Amino acid sequence: MKPHKPWVPFLFVAPALTFFIFAVLVPMIATAGFSFTDWNGFGEFSFVGFANYIELASDNIFAKSFTNVFLYILATLVLEVLVGLCLAGLISVQKSGSLWFRVALFAPVMLPMVVVAVLWSFIYNPDFGLVNSVLSAAGLEDWTRIWLGNPDTALWAISLVSGWVFSGFFMVIFYSALQQVPTELSEAARIDGASEWRIFWSVKIPFIRNAIEVGVLLCVTGAFQGFDLFFVLTNGGPFNATEIPTTLLVRTVFRNADVGYGSAMAVVLTLVILIVGWMFLRIRKWNDQKELRT
Amino acid sequence: MIKIKSTAVVALAAASALVLGACASSTDTTSDNEAGTNTESVSEGTLRFAMGSPGEAQIAVWDQVAAQFETANPGIDVEMNYVDDDLYQTIGLPNLLSGRDAPDVYFEWAGSRLAERYEGGYAADLTSYMTDGVLSGIWEDSTFSSGEYNDKLLLVPHKADVTNVLWYNVDMFNELGITPPETWSELMEVCRVVSEAGFIPMASGNKDFWAAGNWLGHLTSRVVGEDVYDSALAQRTSFNTPEWVEAFGYIKELADNGCVNESANAIADNEGAQLFFQGEAAMHPIGSWLVSWAIGEAPDLNFDYVNLPAMPNGAGDQDSVIGVVTGYVINEKSPMKDKAAEFLALANNAEFVAKFIEAEAVPLALSAANAELDDRTARLNSMLASSNTIVGPPDTDYDLEVADFFYRAVAAVMGGVSTPEEAAAELAAAIE
Repeated sequence: MKPHKPWVPFLFVAPALTFFIFAVLVPMIATAGFSFTDWNGFGEFSFVGFANYIELASDNIFAKSFTNVFLYILATLVLEVLVGLCLAGLISVQKSGSLWFRVALFAPVMLPMVVVAVLWSFIYNPDFGLVNSVLSAAGLEDWTRIWLGNPDTALWAISLVSGWVFSGFFMVIFYSALQQVPTELSEAARIDGASEWRIFWSVKIPFIRNAIEVGVLLCVTGAFQGFDLFFVLTNGGPFNATEIPTTLLVRTVFRNADVGYGSAMAVVLTLVILIVGWMFLRIRKWNDQKELRT
Repeated sequence: MIKIKSTAVVALAAASALVLGACASSTDTTSDNEAGTNTESVSEGTLRFAMGSPGEAQIAVWDQVAAQFETANPGIDVEMNYVDDDLYQTIGLPNLLSGRDAPDVYFEWAGSRLAERYEGGYAADLTSYMTDGVLSGIWEDSTFSSGEYNDKLLLVPHKADVTNVLWYNVDMFNELGITPPETWSELMEVCRVVSEAGFIPMASGNKDFWAAGNWLGHLTSRVVGEDVYDSALAQRTSFNTPEWVEAFGYIKELADNGCVNESANAIADNEGAQLFFQGEAAMHPIGSWLVSWAIGEAPDLNFDYVNLPAMPNGAGDQDSVIGVVTGYVINEKSPMKDKAAEFLALANNAEFVAKFIEAEAVPLALSAANAELDDRTARLNSMLASSNTIVGPPDTDYDLEVADFFYRAVAAVMGGVSTPEEAAAELAAAIE
């Protein structure tokens, strides 16, 4: 047997570790460092301590951006996860002929988000867009709105687009999970007189709980990463009604050339995501323990 | 289609900027000082040029200039970098300048940005080139004044744009029996007549804030006076004053009278222009670049312009024009300043000036004076040249963040979200 070489495992992980250090760790540390400076991105920078964080604490737009993203998360949990789950339930009940239905619902996921956003900007256009044209043609002129220009409707209009894109994605995930549910369970419930609706909610849903939890996690983290749809459709407007942390961050860094302040935003955003992720794990652990107890 | 600004995919543009910034090549320098230039001349290497994308037609001309320059200067490659406009104006140019292969020549706006470049060590003193060097005799001397800072000529002028006038649909005005408004009260009356006829009085696509922001900036300068406008945007005085509240009050009056499309803050500048091109709107406040744009997109549209109507009891010059001179700066750090100057001289000779005019860009060079221009373009140039007061647009003459705050404030008043008092107070607080 050859003598043990303790450095060999490190050799194997070195490429991945090097990539991680340069692509993730160094930028993260640099961003944290920049957050303590006043820097425009190319000239000299000056150390300002916690000034950027103190300013952030009283930045109403930054606070509003988090409110907006949490509202967006709530909306997308319904429009993406819940609708995806319902669609998966529907096609799992009626499998024959559902292929085209599945393809049609999944198709938006394959489109680049910028293309989706441009497409929907035409649909929502208040002057010649499809939504207002259809409403007018149906005699519902009072219902027409400046969908993306009205602070009351803009965020929900974007959430709807997000739902249109990703409900198909979640449908596919949940449909795959539902395929794993043993047919014996459904049949036993059916023999006991349960309706299809009851079987779906009381037998299948508990069985695919893990898939649903993954879906919720993907939805929440995806919402925090959301940018392209917001940037193209409203760019944070009207009047910050759709401002989310990422659009505000990009505007601060790339338009206003305030890298220090933007870096502080990035640090806070990262912390919030970590806290949300931690809370999610805690809730899951608590649920698991509760289940074991029962 | 020529556009001054456009919304673009940030990722693509950012990638372009990074790639352009990363392009490397060698530069073989030989000492060859020319009289008065105090620079090094080179016979081999790469001359890098950066600008916001000026549109396909002008890019074709620039590429021809580059090809001719390379033929005349064997051993020198010209690398033209056309960056997305919005990106170039914000983070694109600073990134390029601080990169390893910074551009030798770059596009810039006259005003505070130019001063910032000089203070940052990125703008060479071109006085000797322009007074008795390769760049002399191409322009009227008076043209240089906009690019002067600290008694040094820093900008090789290329174009002057009127950034906002009020374009109007001549046929619609004739049908409705109205004349182009020259005073504020006439403008309000035109809005009333057009609205009653079922059209949008003024179309604006202000999603990105600059389109109406520049126009309303000009309006406020007429009310508060150019000095107050300048000092507030330069952060020397506050916006939270009665005169600014009064100025913002006129914007509220515009909104209250239904002068501007309700969708203004929801649609992009090109969508606003389309309302005008399609005959949905009677007027469209935007810059001189609309001429070539409209000719291409709506060849049957009969349109003309009128300058911003005079404001009642305004403290500013009521004949002022909002506009900006743009041109090219030679990087102080460039080892190829002489060649860069030669390149700019070539780009502004009579042959290429004629080609730029064909591409719907009218250079400031003397040889453009006799060119056959669109009548509206010629009158706009004349208006700009003869104006006693030229107001600088917020986003090119002042700090970008301040301009952004200003644009958002006027958009909020126009959208009915803020009162003039609230907008003035919030703007002042944001800047402070």
